[in-house]
Amino acid sequence: MTTIEQTVEIKRTSIRSARAIERRRLFLWLVPPLAWFTIFMLIPYATLLYTSLGHVDDMRFIPGLSLDNFVRVFTVDPYLSVIIKSARIGLMTAVFSSIVAYPLAFYLAFHVRTQRLKFLIYLLVIVPWWASYLVKAYAWKTILGSGGILNVGMQSLGLVHEPVRLFLYNEFSVDMTLTYIFTPFAVLSIYAQLERVPTSLIEAARNLGADGWMIFRRIILPISVPGVVAGAIITFSLAFGDFVAPVLVGGPDSVMISNVVINLLGVAFDWPMAAAIGLVIISLGLLLISASGWLEERTQTRF
Amino acid sequence: MRAFGNRSLVTTLAMSVLAFLYAPILVMMVFSFNDSQYTGLPFNGFTFRWYEALFRDDQMLTSIWNSVYVGLGVVVISVLFGVPAAIALDRYEFPGKGMFRRIVMLPIVLPGIITGIALLGFYLTIHLRLSLYTIMLGQGTALMCVTITEVFARLQQLGKSQAEAAANLGANDWEIFKNVTFPGIRSALFGAMLIAFSISFDEIAVTFLLTGRENTLPMTLWSLLRREVTPEVNAVATLIVFLSIILIVAGMYASRGNANEREA
Repeated sequence: MTTIEQTVEIKRTSIRSARAIERRRLFLWLVPPLAWFTIFMLIPYATLLYTSLGHVDDMRFIPGLSLDNFVRVFTVDPYLSVIIKSARIGLMTAVFSSIVAYPLAFYLAFHVRTQRLKFLIYLLVIVPWWASYLVKAYAWKTILGSGGILNVGMQSLGLVHEPVRLFLYNEFSVDMTLTYIFTPFAVLSIYAQLERVPTSLIEAARNLGADGWMIFRRIILPISVPGVVAGAIITFSLAFGDFVAPVLVGGPDSVMISNVVINLLGVAFDWPMAAAIGLVIISLGLLLISASGWLEERTQTRF
Repeated sequence: MRAFGNRSLVTTLAMSVLAFLYAPILVMMVFSFNDSQYTGLPFNGFTFRWYEALFRDDQMLTSIWNSVYVGLGVVVISVLFGVPAAIALDRYEFPGKGMFRRIVMLPIVLPGIITGIALLGFYLTIHLRLSLYTIMLGQGTALMCVTITEVFARLQQLGKSQAEAAANLGANDWEIFKNVTFPGIRSALFGAMLIAFSISFDEIAVTFLLTGRENTLPMTLWSLLRREVTPEVNAVATLIVFLSIILIVAGMYASRGNANEREA
């Protein structure tokens, strides 16, 4: 009896279409990450939505179905203006880090001769992450502050007579600190793209009489665009959401959106408002990803 | 010949960028030896006392260990769930694929604070007690896209022909993964693990909201920096940089094959 059942079973299996097998394999790979992102992202976001529709009364959360909090994000000061300021700081950081990162990525991709040296420099780009962000940001205070290395140095050289206070506690010092912290991301991203450039393309261009500048402008720069875009998106996002630099090196008014959210959670205990801001930013994030995907698709070179 | 352009100009520029990246680290190191209560000028003289203080500071040592523990957990999570995601994205077409890619990328463009409040709200709802594990889950979610994008990019480069050939020769799924896919992605995976660990080690925003009683190193430093800043914070950061360089160089020697294979 069992043998017959087994035979039938085997036949059934063998006539399953290749497509069904493919589908089973897809599930095998897709289900674990899908489950992960559902539990740790989608469900928490749904919780966030539920929270944002309610309000807080006398330190207690009252569920509701009101869009008031979302209206407040766009109409009540300072939410919208702080979001815009954070975006401006993010943009400056993205631009500065792309400019700073490019030469290093270029050197890494084209001018490092041995694999060992390449790996070493690659590591030198990553290692600053191991030195705490906070301590590094604090080191900038030691450099830029009114009793800092830069000011003392300039005074002893007689360049200035009084300490220059412009270096610290303003929006520019926030931009600069964030650029410094996030430049490694831009380097890795631009380098990954430059590494794709086939050596043969450069050799062909050289054989056809192009000089270095021309090769760079006509070949390398256009090819590198998606890497620059990807790096800029990452540095923009990281700077946009930062809350440490404004506290450490920012001025009295350089509060960013993450600081506002933290205050809402802590002192103000207005979870629904924080949730609404969170959801607005999540939507902006999705838009940003779609836009960057489209941009990278359009600018990507196929070899 | 791959190199083009003015070599000395390019090298000078690149070295200036590295100098920019390492200037504050150098300052941090120098002032960790400063014989003064404050981390800053004037430099009062050379001392090891902040390192001695560090080794007596149980809270600091514990938080270093906590950070390593969390970082390792994050690496495990992002490999276990990120590699399958990358393979699924590389090999198959399925409905909602575009959306899946966007969702996966979302945590890297979102402020860590937003990922943090979403997860914190969720934890509070299901009455999960905050601990190092809740940090791990949060960072794991946020950093998984590093593994997914790195491995996915490598898989795209490798193409499908080898895996298909193996399947035609009768290899089963596990054999294909073990003998074809894994060797192909190994170095990309190694790089992604290194990056994920490094970012996790210095992560502040997600951790800030999800931390329970046990603190990671950045949290301990954050609370120290808000109260009193002594050169001890410089000492701990300096120590970690040296330790990391030693570990990385050791890892480099151990996996010399890996480094050479990067270009393959």
